[in-house]
Amino acid sequence: MGSQSASPFGAIKIVECGEGISAAFGAKMIADLGAEVIKVEPPGGDLTRRRGPFPDDKADLDKSGIFIYLNANKRSVVADLKRPEGRELLHKLLAGADILIHNVAPGDRAAQGLDSAALRAAFPKLIIAAISPFGETGPYANWRGYELTLSNAAGWATLSPGASPYPELPPLKCFGSQCEFQGGIHAAMVALAAYMHRLKTGQGQSIDISEQEAVAAMLEMNFMHWTYAHRETSRLGSRLLGPWFISDTADGKIFALAVEEDQWKRLVELMGNPEWANDELFKDRIARGQNQDALKALMGEWLSRWKTQELYREAQNKRVPFAPINTMRDLYESDHLAERQFFATLEQSGIGAVKLPGMPSKYGATPWALRRPAPKLGEHAEEVFCGELGIARERLNDLRKAGVA
Amino acid sequence: MANLPLSGVRVLDFTWAWAGPFCTMQLAHLGAEVIRVETTARPACVTRVIPPFADDVPGPNRAGYFNQYNQGKKSISLNLTRPEAIDVACRLVKHCDVVADNFAAGVMDKLGLGYAKLRTIKHDIIMISMSGYGQTGPFKGFVGYGPPASAASGMFFTTGYEGGEPGEIGVSYPDPNAGIFGAFALMAALTHRALTGEGQYIDQSQFETALALMPEGMLEYELNHREPGRHGNHDPVMAPHECYKAAGDDEKWVSIAVGGEDEWRALCRAMGNPGLADDPRFKTAALRKRHEAALDEIVTAWTRTRDRWETTKALQAAGVAAFPSMSNKDLAEDPHLNARGYFTMLEHPEVGKRQHAGIPWKMSGTPCEVRSPAPLRGADTEAVLKSLLGMTLDQIEHLRKSGVLI
Repeated sequence: MGSQSASPFGAIKIVECGEGISAAFGAKMIADLGAEVIKVEPPGGDLTRRRGPFPDDKADLDKSGIFIYLNANKRSVVADLKRPEGRELLHKLLAGADILIHNVAPGDRAAQGLDSAALRAAFPKLIIAAISPFGETGPYANWRGYELTLSNAAGWATLSPGASPYPELPPLKCFGSQCEFQGGIHAAMVALAAYMHRLKTGQGQSIDISEQEAVAAMLEMNFMHWTYAHRETSRLGSRLLGPWFISDTADGKIFALAVEEDQWKRLVELMGNPEWANDELFKDRIARGQNQDALKALMGEWLSRWKTQELYREAQNKRVPFAPINTMRDLYESDHLAERQFFATLEQSGIGAVKLPGMPSKYGATPWALRRPAPKLGEHAEEVFCGELGIARERLNDLRKAGVA
Repeated sequence: MANLPLSGVRVLDFTWAWAGPFCTMQLAHLGAEVIRVETTARPACVTRVIPPFADDVPGPNRAGYFNQYNQGKKSISLNLTRPEAIDVACRLVKHCDVVADNFAAGVMDKLGLGYAKLRTIKHDIIMISMSGYGQTGPFKGFVGYGPPASAASGMFFTTGYEGGEPGEIGVSYPDPNAGIFGAFALMAALTHRALTGEGQYIDQSQFETALALMPEGMLEYELNHREPGRHGNHDPVMAPHECYKAAGDDEKWVSIAVGGEDEWRALCRAMGNPGLADDPRFKTAALRKRHEAALDEIVTAWTRTRDRWETTKALQAAGVAAFPSMSNKDLAEDPHLNARGYFTMLEHPEVGKRQHAGIPWKMSGTPCEVRSPAPLRGADTEAVLKSLLGMTLDQIEHLRKSGVLI
C-alpha cells in the first residue's frame, strides 16, 4: 500500500451525505485513492451503523462491519439537514469541496438543501453526484426503492436463480446490496470524469444516477432476447449449455462448467473417459444443457470422490473452468488472495485488527491505502467545523445543544 | 466533437467477451473514441456468435449481445497472430491514451504488447488488464468466466432460498462488475495523469472485484467466525421483505420491502387492514422479523389476487417500496424508463433500429449520449489506419490480402 503524501488524489475534497451503501461506497472508492472525504451524518448516524454485522452480535454504532468497510478513510460530522442551521453547515462544507456524493431521495432534496439545480447555481464549480433508485426525473422519480425491490425493478431478480425447475418459488435476490454498490461505483466513475472536465474547463455540474438503469444495463444478453427475438426472460427453463451446475464433493460443493467443446474433451479425459460421455444425449454443449439432469447424475458420482479445492486445481490445470462454491472462510484462507495481498488490515478502535476486502484493482502508480479507521459518529466535528470552517466553539456547542450538530 | 468529459481520449480496445467491452463502453459513453480490435483469424468474440440474433437469423453483426455492449465504438480488423499486425498495433498505441485487454494473464506480454513495451512507445500510456484471477498468484493461469467467479467469490454460497442449497444468481454478474470497476480504475488513472502527467498499468482480477461486493458476508466471518447463511429474499432486519405472488402466470410477482414503522403502518392501511399494525405478533420490527412466516402468508393472501402493478402503485402512493419483478419485455415497455430516454434506438446497417439499454446517468453540463450503434466487424479498419497512421489504400490492401487485416 502506498503512502498518503504521494497521492495526487489528496487534492480532491469530497463531501458525502445520505445514508446506506450507495453514496458511502462511491465516496470510499475515491477516498481509498487518497481523497479527503467528510461524511455528513444525520443526528442518529448513518443507518449502516445499526445494520451490523457486529462483533459478538452486540449492536454498537461504532462497530458495524459494513459501516467500517464503507467508511474507513473518512471523517465524520453530524448535521441535521432538516433544519436550516444544519443546511448552513452543509453549504459551508460545500463551498470548499470539489465533489458531493449523496443518495438523498429526489423528493427530499429541496428540503435538505440538496436540490441539484440550486446547488449548481450556488456552487458553479462543484460536482454533484446524486444517486437514487429511479433517477430524479420520470414518473417513478419519487418512488421508494430498497435493494430487493430494485433488483426486481431492474429485471435481475426475475432471471434468478436461472434454469429453475420450481415455478412456485419466487424470483431470487442475489446476496448483499448489489444494486446499491452499483449505484455507488457508477457515481464514483462519472464523478471523476466530471472532475477531469472541470480541470479542463473550470465548470462543475450535477449528475443524476439511477440505480435501476445501472443494473438494467448489466443483464447480459437477456434484454435483447426481447428486442431482437421477442422472447421474454424467465428464471425457469433450462441452461443454454452444459455442464453448468452446482454439485456435491467429498467435503463441499463445486460449480461444474465447460463452455467450449475443447474444455469438455479435457474434462472427459479427467473423468477417465467414461463410456456414457459418448452418448448422443451429450454430443454437444447445447445437448448437454438440455440433458443436464442426466449429465449431473452421471458426473455426480465422480465429483463426489474429490475434495473441492483439489478438484478445482486439477480441473483448472487442464483449463476446465470449474470453481469452488467458496465459503467466507475459504476466502479468508485463500493462498491466492494472500499472495496477492488482497486483504487490508485496519486497526479499528474498540475492535482491534480487522481484515477487510482490499484494493479491487491493482494500480501501478496511484497509491491505494486504508489510512485511518472508520470514524465514530461526529468524531471530527470540532476539527472540521471549528478548525477548518472557522466556526466558533461556542456556536458549535449551541448547535449541539439544539441537536443540529 | 462534442465537449464531453472524455473528448480527445482514445482507447485501443483488445477486450472480448463481456467484462472488457462493458468497461470500454463506459468510456465511449463519456466521449472517448474507442477502437476495438477484432479478427476472424481466431474463434469470433463469443458475443458475436451466441443468441439472440436479430429475428433469429445468425450473423456476426446481428447478435444482440455484441450490439448492446459495443455501442459507440469503432472496429478494426487486426490478426494478432501476425507480426505485421503487432507492428500496426504498436503504431496505433502511439496515438492512444488507454489500452485495455481482458485476455488470460500474460497474453499481452506474449503477443509483444505488454505494458513494458507499450510505455516505450508512449511514455504516459494507461493500460488495464482485466483477467479472471489477476496477473500474479498461484491461480493467475486459471480460466475465468462470470459464473465461476460468482462461485469463487461466495455469491453462490450466500444466495439461495431460505434453508436451501446454494443458488445461482441469474446473470453472469461478475463480468459487468469487473467492467465497471475497470472503468472506474481507468477514470482514476486518467485523473492521475491529468494531475501529474504520469501513466500507469492496472492489474485487475475479476475475482477480487467481485469480493469488493461481499463485505456483509465476509465481515460476518471476520468478526464472528460464522458463515452468513442463505435467507432467500429475506433481510436480517426488515420484514415484510419478499417477492410475493401476484395475479397471473408463474412470471407475475411483486416485491415488497418494509423499513420503518411508518412504512409498516402504511402497508397495513393499503391492505385494508389497519388493525394489523398493532397485532401483538407484528407490533415492532423485531416481532415482525420473528413472525415473518405468518406475515408473509398474510401479505401473499392480499397480493395473489391483485395485479402486480395495482399493488405496486397502491403501495408506492402510500410510501412503501414495492415493484413488480420485471422481465425484459416489461423493461422495454416501461413508461418511466422510456420517459427518461434511457433506451437507445439507432439505425444499425444490418439489424435496423433495435432497442438497447442506454446510459444510466445524466450529466447537466456534458450531456452524454450513445453516438453510434455497435460497429460492423472491421468497419473502421481503413478509416482508422488512414487517419491515424497515414497509410495509403495500397498499403492497406496489401496487408488485407496478406492476412494481417482480417
